[in-house]
Amino acid sequence: MKDFAIRAHKLKKIYSSEFEKIVALKEIDVEIKKGEFVTIMGPSGAGKTTFLNLVGCLDKPTSGRLDLLGYNPIELNEGKLSRIRVDKIGFVFEEFFLISSLNALENVQLPLIFARNYKNNNRPSTLLKRVGLDHRLTHFPNELSGGELQRVAVARALVNNPEILLADEPTGNLDTKNARGLFDLFRELNKEEGLTIVVATHNNRLGHSTDRIIHLKDGKIEQDERLVK
Amino acid sequence: MKFFILAYKNLRRRKFRSFLTIGGVAVAVAVLVCLLGFNAGYQEALTSDIDKMGYQVLVTAKGCPYEAATRVLSGEAGLKFIDEDIYKQIISDPDIDKITPLLTQVVYDPEKSDGKGGFDSYSGIERSYMELKPNVQLKSGEWFSSDDANEVILGYDQAESIQKKLQKTVGDKISIPGEDTNLVIVGIFEKTASLEDGDFFLPLKTAQRIFEIEGKLTSIGIKLKQIDRLSAFEERLYPIASIQVISMSQVKGTILNLVSSAKILIMSVAFIAIFVAIIGVINTILMSVFERTQEIGIMKAIGASKLDIFKLIWIETLIICTLGGFFGSIVAILGGNFTELLVRKVMPYAPGGKLLLITPELLLFSFLGVIIIGIISGLYPAFRAASMRPIEVIRSGE
Repeated sequence: MKDFAIRAHKLKKIYSSEFEKIVALKEIDVEIKKGEFVTIMGPSGAGKTTFLNLVGCLDKPTSGRLDLLGYNPIELNEGKLSRIRVDKIGFVFEEFFLISSLNALENVQLPLIFARNYKNNNRPSTLLKRVGLDHRLTHFPNELSGGELQRVAVARALVNNPEILLADEPTGNLDTKNARGLFDLFRELNKEEGLTIVVATHNNRLGHSTDRIIHLKDGKIEQDERLVK
Repeated sequence: MKFFILAYKNLRRRKFRSFLTIGGVAVAVAVLVCLLGFNAGYQEALTSDIDKMGYQVLVTAKGCPYEAATRVLSGEAGLKFIDEDIYKQIISDPDIDKITPLLTQVVYDPEKSDGKGGFDSYSGIERSYMELKPNVQLKSGEWFSSDDANEVILGYDQAESIQKKLQKTVGDKISIPGEDTNLVIVGIFEKTASLEDGDFFLPLKTAQRIFEIEGKLTSIGIKLKQIDRLSAFEERLYPIASIQVISMSQVKGTILNLVSSAKILIMSVAFIAIFVAIIGVINTILMSVFERTQEIGIMKAIGASKLDIFKLIWIETLIICTLGGFFGSIVAILGGNFTELLVRKVMPYAPGGKLLLITPELLLFSFLGVIIIGIISGLYPAFRAASMRPIEVIRSGE
């Protein structure tokens, strides 16, 4: 039981608006072990982002069960959910989503404020060094390249020592070289720190550099492919 | 890095807008401080003016008592004259401690104020005037040589202006515009910080002769042995048909009453300024919240709780209001003299001394007030921001 980072049973999500109902996830069952590096693949609208949002406590499922590191996000209130987001989960987005008024270092420090971690620790600068940006600490987002921005975002996601790293199309705005570099970084973090990583991507080749590919189509798991290294 | 720095950086992003909003708050605070300061200062200045007069009771010809009182206070002539006989009649009243007759005339001087023209006030007085006014002392020179000599004693400010304009001082001769008689300056009074500093003082008889109103007075200043004998004293004077008795405490109350109705009007202006400032603050913060919808969503996604976002936006509001309060107080202190000038122009009667009294307590009060306003006006934008859902921002990526 304790070996699982994420366990979903009959997880279902329906987005309903005035005019239509969209079933984004159709009762999927997934188990992801701690320390696994998993890719979610599938065409647009397959439910990749929905799955990551549910796992990342950004949204609540319509029905089904979800076990996240022993927590049940469905039963938790918003305050508890934000606590899990800040302590246990790191998020990386396709559009990087850095705060434009803060420099690289301050962007990485930001989650520390929300975690009430005011101690003068040097983890943000250590992380930026680790992602190869120690010469860019005081640069603002508009002064950084796409690859650099995404690495700042990864450093930000890791600053509170999360157990799970969720990345939604993290290479969507990167060139091939930077995309490759990012996945190498993920692999490193996965190996050295045992970080559980779930990445949603279109990129088949990058997907194949991970431990496991879950193929989603129309809100259902089409194939669960374990890759042998 | 803490919330405060984060909030500060957000405000720095839209410098001009933040600056304008802070300016709006500052204006409201400055107006409030000036008005409250004026309220306190006017009352104090008026009280001190009336205390300096030395009279508790003023006897004048019948007419509007308040008009007469303000005219006498500002050194202008009374409306009508009273007979000197009345003075002789009441001088022996047992309740009177000190008494002095006064004849005040206003003369137009076309040369005054660099040729623009203006009025000067000439007061005919007797020696008893000095006894009633303990703060009136001769700075230089001496008292009139006789009670109908062609001599003049100058008020402090008038002496300075004559010295500057005509290079004349004690011993020199001056003339009253439109009159033939020359007057020798025999003395100069010390500064009293009242309007009488600008007056010319003549022996009573000389004044009566020059202005051709012999045997007449404009008023009689009286100090009673005990002020609580006032009503008994008034009653005894009641049969004299042509005069009225005005107690200065009554005058003070009436003037303050008049001022207070003006004050209500000005106060409502101040409250409108504050109201506009509040709307401005809410608007600025709300706009910056809507502009940052995505950013707030991101912050929530990376772990910010509702409370965190609420705090962040609230602190921004507080920074604006605190800075506004700070600059507004500075403007009020620095601009106080200008306001005083303005008020003097507008008010029907303005006492000498300082009109605007800005105390540390007043500044503290206004400052706390603006912070409370900040706390209140930050509530709604902060609440709006806090209740934004992160998912709406993130989903736009798919």
